[in-house]
Amino acid sequence: MFDKFWSIAGAVSVRTKILGIVLGLVLLLGIGVTVQVRATLTYVMTENLREQSISIARDVAARSADPILINDLFTLQQLLRDTQANNPDVRYAFVLDDQRHVLASTFEDGFPLELSDANRVTPEEHHRLAALTTDEGTVWDTAVSIFEGRAGTARVGLSEARAQAALNAVTTQLLLTTVGVSAIGILAAALLTVVLTRPILTLVRATQAVGKGDFSQRTPRWADDEIGELSDAFNAMTVGLGRAEKERAEREQLRTYYLSQVISAQEEERKRLSRELHDETGQALASLMVGLRNVEEAPTDEDLRRRLNDLRQITSHTLENVRELSIELRPSVLDDHGLVVALTRYTQDYSARHQVPVDFQTVGLNGERLAPPIETALYRIVQEALTNAAKYAQAQHLSVLLEKRSEQISAIVEDDGRGFDAETVLSPVAQNQRLGLYGMRERAALLGGTVTIESRPGGGTSVFVRIPVTSDSDER
Amino acid sequence: MGVAMRLFLLLSMLIGLLTGCAPQASAAVIHLNDRQPLPEQPATDVVPLRVAVGAVTSPQGTVDSYAPLLDYLERKLDRPVELVQRRTYAEVDDLIATGFVDVGFVCTSAYVAGQRDFNMQLLVAPEVDGETVYYSVLIVPATSEARNMADLRGKVFAFTDPMSNTGHNYPKYLVKQLDETVDSFFARTFFIYSHDDAIRAVASGLADGAAVDSLVYDYAIEREPELARRTKIIHRSAPFGIPPVVAGPQARPQIVAEVRDLLIGMATDPDGQQVLNGLNIDRFITVEDRIYDSVRQLEVQVATSTAK
Repeated sequence: MFDKFWSIAGAVSVRTKILGIVLGLVLLLGIGVTVQVRATLTYVMTENLREQSISIARDVAARSADPILINDLFTLQQLLRDTQANNPDVRYAFVLDDQRHVLASTFEDGFPLELSDANRVTPEEHHRLAALTTDEGTVWDTAVSIFEGRAGTARVGLSEARAQAALNAVTTQLLLTTVGVSAIGILAAALLTVVLTRPILTLVRATQAVGKGDFSQRTPRWADDEIGELSDAFNAMTVGLGRAEKERAEREQLRTYYLSQVISAQEEERKRLSRELHDETGQALASLMVGLRNVEEAPTDEDLRRRLNDLRQITSHTLENVRELSIELRPSVLDDHGLVVALTRYTQDYSARHQVPVDFQTVGLNGERLAPPIETALYRIVQEALTNAAKYAQAQHLSVLLEKRSEQISAIVEDDGRGFDAETVLSPVAQNQRLGLYGMRERAALLGGTVTIESRPGGGTSVFVRIPVTSDSDER
Repeated sequence: MGVAMRLFLLLSMLIGLLTGCAPQASAAVIHLNDRQPLPEQPATDVVPLRVAVGAVTSPQGTVDSYAPLLDYLERKLDRPVELVQRRTYAEVDDLIATGFVDVGFVCTSAYVAGQRDFNMQLLVAPEVDGETVYYSVLIVPATSEARNMADLRGKVFAFTDPMSNTGHNYPKYLVKQLDETVDSFFARTFFIYSHDDAIRAVASGLADGAAVDSLVYDYAIEREPELARRTKIIHRSAPFGIPPVVAGPQARPQIVAEVRDLLIGMATDPDGQQVLNGLNIDRFITVEDRIYDSVRQLEVQVATSTAK
């Protein structure tokens, strides 16, 4: 039952719901009041008619006795007519003699014969009241004995017609009022609907626009109520969405740029390797070839030993070159001995190459290995940080701290160089120019970690890297 | 379907409530507008003996006091007896003159007029306390300071019937004795037509004075002691001949004789005696017409005074 009701009521618009509620309440109240008033009025009026019927009949009976006894029928009829004239509810009045013959009545042309015996009273009774059903509606008929029945019976009938008419007038008035109030209710409901649904419809349109990617939508605040709060919340949401979208777009742009840089860097690296192999290794091998031919033609053993010694030196030099090349491409020590060893060696090389002391320390690692992606990422991030320091910092001293805690591994690279204004240099706008930084962040982000850079002019620079270590990565 | 059905039921109930009133006594419908001439009353086979009683007392009082006597006559004559009343003495006299009624209990002056105008027959007269006389008594409210008719000057006075001896002629006679006319002497006068109502009018203060039949006064204060407490007699007239029982001039002698014998015989019949006691009457006796001469003289005196 309720489901059925809701399937109908729920499907209509808010406008119809409000209208329905207002109209429903007004009609319910109107009809309720009308029914109640009618019931009460009917009861009161009927009671009134009954009492009036009795009292008028008693009066007529008392005043009829003498005219009947002295046979003054004219006075008797006058009495009946006066009674009817003075009591508009009296439909008829008549007097029967002790033989139940009609002596006088208010009917002028004849008499409704069935009426005379419709209500009988015995001399002992005070009165007898009967509701007679007539062709003019219900009539409250009272019979009263005149002079203890010795002079006959007085009969008076009171019609409900006037009471009924009054009742109908009241009912009509109440129903008209209900209709009037309903009309006002419809107007009020329409106004209410406009007030309520207009901001909602505005919100719906704005939401649809946002759904299509237009984050510039703002809804006006119509009123300082719940819907107003919704508007505010919606506006705050679109502002947030707009900002997030902008950031996403910038990141996307940066990623694309980074990718292209990575590809070109790769090509650069290949070009350098090619040149290195051709210029250095190729030349060395060619020298070896020439040297070997010269060995064949050595005139003496002394000369042969000297030439072989030269060849060994060339070979040794070439071998050194190839090894350096190999380390530069990827330090095999990282794969063979782990991050700590690799970084130790790298910082030593760095220190030697740039003439700057680098303090490298580890906490909580105890020689254990990390997952290869994490080791690679940390190695490259530290490498990038140190490279940057060498390029820009002009530092007197550098320190690298690698610390492992239960759930995360962190690396901190600090220098005491000249530093920079972190807010402008690291702002999203400037990120295009800071590809190295971006690369560091991307590497960390791929492993669910973060890179934070703190710096201020003249106050050195600190790079914090934090990467979560899950049990999975420990197993690997 | 079910919902529509329920809705319909609810609606019809609502309409029933609004139009209201379930029929209460749903007997056959009476057609108030189907009016027909009243049926003729069938003539009864037995012709009743019609007895007229002059309006000495009020119509209902008359029914009450005369009912035992009429019932007695009905039993003895073995034929229905019908009581006929009219508002005035004159109307009763007319009924007797035309023969519509057979027997009449009339006031003294009504007899005097009937005897003069159409030879009304005198049947019998009641004897009360061994006498066949009655008086006119002048009464005032118990609180009144009036001691005689002269003290009622400028007051309101109630007459009984224009033809009444005790209730009209005698007080007019008293006023005439004061060398006044009724119209100038009293502030206002009115006719009440019955003696018991005149006593009630004085008792209630409606009238400051009235003259009534002494027999009616005695009978009334015996029935309603309250009236004795609230009124007092300040004057009693000389005796007049008592109101008689009469018959019309064309009344059948047989009936007249029958009724006369019956009334006279009541005193010797235990049943009749009981009825007589109820009426404060010793017995009915035949009387001479001359006992009413004093009434005739009074009429002449009053008439001459009004002529002057």
